[in-house]
Amino acid sequence: MISTDNLTMKYGETTVLDKLNLTIKPGELYCLLGANGAGKTTTINLLLGFIKPSSGSAIINGLVVAENVHKSKKNLAYIPENLMLYPNLTAVENLDYFSGIGGKSFKRQELEAFLEEAGLQADAFHNRISTFSKGMRQKVGIALALAKNASVLLLDEPTSGLDPKASNEFGILLQKLRSNGVAILMATHDLFRAKEIATHIGIMKNGQLKQEFVASEITLSDLENAYLSTMGFKEMAV
Amino acid sequence: MIRGTFLKELKELTRDGRVRISFIIVLLLLLAATWISKNQYEQTNEQHHQAETSERDIWEGQGSKNPHSAAHYGTYAFKPKYPLSLIDHGVDKFTGTSIFLEAHTRNEAQFSKATDQTGLARFGELTPDFVLLFIIPLLIVFLGYNAFTKEREMGTLLLLRSQGTPVWKLILGKWLSIFLPIGGTVLVLFVITGLVLSNLKDFGVFQWDSLGMMSLVYMAYYIVFINLILLVSSKVKKSGISLVISLSIWIMACLVVPKAASNIAESTHPYPTRQEFVANITKDQQNGLDGHDPWNKQARELEQQVLKEHGVDSLEQLPFNFDAYRMQKGEEHTAEIYFKHYNYLKTQFEEQTGLYRNLAVLSPFLPARFMSMAIANTDYATHWDFADSAEKYRVELQAFLNGDFAENSSFGEWSYRADASKWKELPAFEYDPPELNETVGRNGSNLMILSAWVLISFSLLFFTTKKL
Repeated sequence: MISTDNLTMKYGETTVLDKLNLTIKPGELYCLLGANGAGKTTTINLLLGFIKPSSGSAIINGLVVAENVHKSKKNLAYIPENLMLYPNLTAVENLDYFSGIGGKSFKRQELEAFLEEAGLQADAFHNRISTFSKGMRQKVGIALALAKNASVLLLDEPTSGLDPKASNEFGILLQKLRSNGVAILMATHDLFRAKEIATHIGIMKNGQLKQEFVASEITLSDLENAYLSTMGFKEMAV
Repeated sequence: MIRGTFLKELKELTRDGRVRISFIIVLLLLLAATWISKNQYEQTNEQHHQAETSERDIWEGQGSKNPHSAAHYGTYAFKPKYPLSLIDHGVDKFTGTSIFLEAHTRNEAQFSKATDQTGLARFGELTPDFVLLFIIPLLIVFLGYNAFTKEREMGTLLLLRSQGTPVWKLILGKWLSIFLPIGGTVLVLFVITGLVLSNLKDFGVFQWDSLGMMSLVYMAYYIVFINLILLVSSKVKKSGISLVISLSIWIMACLVVPKAASNIAESTHPYPTRQEFVANITKDQQNGLDGHDPWNKQARELEQQVLKEHGVDSLEQLPFNFDAYRMQKGEEHTAEIYFKHYNYLKTQFEEQTGLYRNLAVLSPFLPARFMSMAIANTDYATHWDFADSAEKYRVELQAFLNGDFAENSSFGEWSYRADASKWKELPAFEYDPPELNETVGRNGSNLMILSAWVLISFSLLFFTTKKL
């Protein structure tokens, strides 16, 4: 489970995240929408413990992240916008290494099974990552989440730059993880994908969570209108 | 996790063509240097053996003659070539290989290899110590400069940090991935060298514990370099900057500091010039007893003193040949003068060495170099030790010859001839270099400074790098 309690981040006088309160339960996929600088990535960085909050707390599976930086990551997986892996290692080797430093050890067949489950074609398992497209690398990221048996998945604009087919495949994988009980937080600009895969959607602006929706209760056009009006583009809203 | 990082780094390094090529080049250089040195060592050892044998034959075969003629005829003390000089040539090239031992004069070692070489010698030689001291640290720079910066630049650091990995484990994994290939390769080469040396005929004073100690010194030296290069890589953001800083460390540690230390030591504690040195000795000799000159003031005083001691009126009444006695006293006086002036040189050398050791806090190269040369018995201290032994032998040789002359002839009997078999009674010159524990004890401060470098660089790497 992911939650934040009045999570606030300030850089000097500038507040980049203002008293954010979020709860994402197991089996939920929460999409955070917002323009650049809205505070989405800051939220993820706080949940990862990369930065310490000015006040409030980020909580992963009941552990306050700032107080349990290493422990809170045990069952957490993270896929950044551009997942970078070691180019001279193969997909299996990368997966082996990252799952290893995450505290898990697998046989080669098991690693291949995770990659297969993540949708990577079998003939790419033993190719070097330097030959992989972004979509293929993101699949290795998903395989890592599967290998770690992560109960929490944080994604920072993972579909940006993916072609529609790859983006769709990625969405299906996330749905699969969600249905397995993983709590997922995904920062994205992609309203269409958010509406399609999320259970909950939040819109952020200037570090504040302005609106929240249950995805099944809102249409794509209503979501688009809500987003545009929140961003201050009322004239563009239909 | 440490093992995982180590294996991952190793895979990456071996798959990186540049690293593979650099490693192979260094390995080939080291093998070539060792092979060249082995041949040189065998050749020099053979020459040494031949020269020593033939010189002894010449000494023993000089026939019946006056002992003082034999004293001027002289003989040679040959400096042995020690097995570990195969690895570290030290100052051997400049110090000379033999000392001519004759009456009245302390000669310096001559026939150094450097004097036989052309101007091309300025380009240096491919020796194992050159590869071990200069090239391998450079290889460490190329292996380690981007250890952490590449993670930042590739973006993999983000994923690493998200795994909740303690930083020290990552550092240790990366540290091992550089140390084990470097340390392992060097260790294997040391073992091969040891096997080669122990299988050579007449391999002298080779001892495995000396080789082991030397390998430990080099390991410590490499550990310091690995720590410093990884520290830089962990602190800076870009590989380019890390490479520049790492290369600067190498240049400072291996090139600038040792040369600056030489200049500082020489200007702070200068040796007298050759002219000054010779003039000072000549001056002291002129003011003292001349064994050859019976009319010399001190010789007359000695004559009076001896006559009084023996209660006789003339030198002819003495139970020994006073000419030989006077020459022996003159020899002892000259030896004292030489001792005094060479001792001054030695004091200056020790002052310079002390200053060098103090400057070793600026570069791990200095303590490692000193230790390596000392263990190989190719340092200046060993050369001094050899030169002092040769001088001691020269003084004993003169006493042996003058003693025979004094006891077996009477005053004025310059026609006396010692028997041809007499020369065999003189024991041959033998020199044993300092034992390992003596060398280590003498270099205690170097050992301490090198250990301090290891500890401080380890602490800096592991305790100041909390976050990547």
